[in-house]
Amino acid sequence: MAKTHRKAYLFIAPFVIVFLIFNIYPIFLTFYYSLTNYSGMGGIANAEFIGIANYARLITDAYFYEAFLNTIKIWGFNFIVQMLIALGLALLFSDIRLKLKGVGVFRALFYLPNIITIASVAILFNILLDWNHGALNQLLLSFGFIDSPINWLNSPTYAQSAVALIGAWMWFGNSFIILLAGISGISRDYYEAALIDGANWWKSFTNITLPQLKPILLYVLITSIIGGLQLFDLPMLLTDTRGAPQGSLNTMVLYLYNQAFKYNNFGYGATLAYGLFIITVLFSAVTFRAMYRKEVR
Amino acid sequence: MKKFLCLFAVSILLVILGACTSGSKADLVVTSFTDELQEPIDRFEELHDVTVDLQIIPTENYTTTLRPALESGKGAPDVFTGEIVYLKDWIEQDYWENLSADPYNVDEWEDDYMEYVWDLGKNDAGEVRAVSWQTTPGGIYYRRSIAEEVLGTDDPYEIGEMFSTMDGLMEVGEKMKEHNYRLFPDEGSIQPFTNGQDPQPWVNENNELVMTEARLSYFDYAKELRDKQYTALAPAWSPAWYESFVGPISYNVGWDELDEVDEDADKTEVFAVALPTWGLNSVLKAEAPETSGDWGVTSGPTPYFQGGTWIGVYKDSENKDLAWEFIQMLVHDEEFLTEWVTETTGDVLSYLPVTSKISEDYSEEYLGGQNHYKFFLEEAQKIDSSTITKYDQQIGDLFGTEVGNYVEGNVTKEEALQEFYNQVKNAYPDIVVPE
Repeated sequence: MAKTHRKAYLFIAPFVIVFLIFNIYPIFLTFYYSLTNYSGMGGIANAEFIGIANYARLITDAYFYEAFLNTIKIWGFNFIVQMLIALGLALLFSDIRLKLKGVGVFRALFYLPNIITIASVAILFNILLDWNHGALNQLLLSFGFIDSPINWLNSPTYAQSAVALIGAWMWFGNSFIILLAGISGISRDYYEAALIDGANWWKSFTNITLPQLKPILLYVLITSIIGGLQLFDLPMLLTDTRGAPQGSLNTMVLYLYNQAFKYNNFGYGATLAYGLFIITVLFSAVTFRAMYRKEVR
Repeated sequence: MKKFLCLFAVSILLVILGACTSGSKADLVVTSFTDELQEPIDRFEELHDVTVDLQIIPTENYTTTLRPALESGKGAPDVFTGEIVYLKDWIEQDYWENLSADPYNVDEWEDDYMEYVWDLGKNDAGEVRAVSWQTTPGGIYYRRSIAEEVLGTDDPYEIGEMFSTMDGLMEVGEKMKEHNYRLFPDEGSIQPFTNGQDPQPWVNENNELVMTEARLSYFDYAKELRDKQYTALAPAWSPAWYESFVGPISYNVGWDELDEVDEDADKTEVFAVALPTWGLNSVLKAEAPETSGDWGVTSGPTPYFQGGTWIGVYKDSENKDLAWEFIQMLVHDEEFLTEWVTETTGDVLSYLPVTSKISEDYSEEYLGGQNHYKFFLEEAQKIDSSTITKYDQQIGDLFGTEVGNYVEGNVTKEEALQEFYNQVKNAYPDIVVPE
């Protein structure tokens, strides 16, 4: 029989109250901001209510579309590289024939880049990638790979690639751990059966590992998309905080930050936040659908 | 057991909510973005037998952290500083107490302060909201040994003469290059002097962006510096930039590979850099102690200023009397200021009774014994606050970025200019940009 335990509400109350105050209230307040020309100063009461003018601006804002494309490009490149490394390593360390030792040590080692604060990472790579004085160029010059130093952080392509690769370096350890756990969860019986049937490595990878790993891969994909769409700190810290060179590191959240806090267009910043919110929902919905379809089948 | 659990849940709730309302218990809370006020605060604590809490919020987060507190009044400090970057915005808000009113009546002090510094603390209604202890005119710092070798003199006055026009600067650049030195670390060093040729506000009273020939000349001068190899390709605030003040830095642009040049060919040394007063303490002395004594400072083609910190009393502070005492000591106490400057900071002050006395016989060891105090005071007198707008920092940065893109050869001058206008329009939709 179902009897409502009223006291249970008391237990969830701390979370619900905190959630209402710190999540739900700001979400609605942000929506109200997005309908005003609030500058972030002088009180919201003195801001002018301008209806959907900010949204009209949003859908015609070339910088916003640029920021969206930049974010997708950087995230996409980062994700591919990160998954290739993580999956490759996970396969290597889970291979029953190789029986590699020291998985625990490597797991910790691979995860290390992830625990460095992003500000330190930015400074580190700023020094490494410096045009005339950076270690990377000095190295390439001394090996004779290049004749003159490459201005990495001044070329849109190189700068975006740099951010993507740094991201991959920071996050592959995380994905590696998840994928390794996923692979370890696949029953050995499948592989043994495949071995008896004469399947080679590639056959058992494509027919057993990948299909069995699909839910895990989708999980990694979704968390990566949600994190990737919010890409902000590295692009901000690596160059001039405005997305140089030539706006190529101008990501959606960086754009939002600059509009709201640098140029004091708080109202439009709030609108950008909603734009970002809608995009995130769409992306999550699409990937969730893919996952759901798999489960009903 | 159930009762215990309920109690547990309730207490967690209280702890979480309670965490929102705790506060510190100092007599006075001062918020700033550097620790430079620590010394005055120590002194103030001693004198008044009080505790002062200095809260430092890093520059990058300063406005985003402090502004919500000022807007809502929750968790706001008693005294806080503001940088020139957002000063003009803040004095128009009701953040700082009106110091022109009773009981402060600071208008009486006006004649004792550097004019532009005083004026920048006033809002549109003419009320003083913030005051400053310092003045931050700029100059060109240069290496004496290199000047002696290449120019035959290290005298600040003579070198100032050579630097007095843009052409003069370029001539020195050429001579430096012949001796494998670079005039400046980067092209940005020349920006203040291009604008100074024809000082105009970035945005005029009709809310129009003002683009002048002088401003446009930054494109060409920057390009000239780069093309003629007068700079060391070390962008401002980069590690290489700091390193360039210590000694030779690597320099390899690829064009000198054909001849088997001597060892040093891929190294170069920077002769000079345009920096304001505070550059001496927070850049040169801090990052390049090795070259102490080998520096001098002189004027460029035009006067300019960069940065500066103002301070005021929070309008709803509960400790206004004490806050005001502190500010008076910091900006208007002859004895304290004299001691502070001569014994520690070396900061160039805006309080004339003290500065005029100090400047009589000041000698800065780092600058080879030069009396830079006198020099900077003269420069500060030439600064006109009427062309300063609240947009200067952001628009200046946007412009500098586009000039940089042009210099790198990524875009043409027209493209760069158009992108600059687009960026300004995007950042400040109310500003009318030229067609």
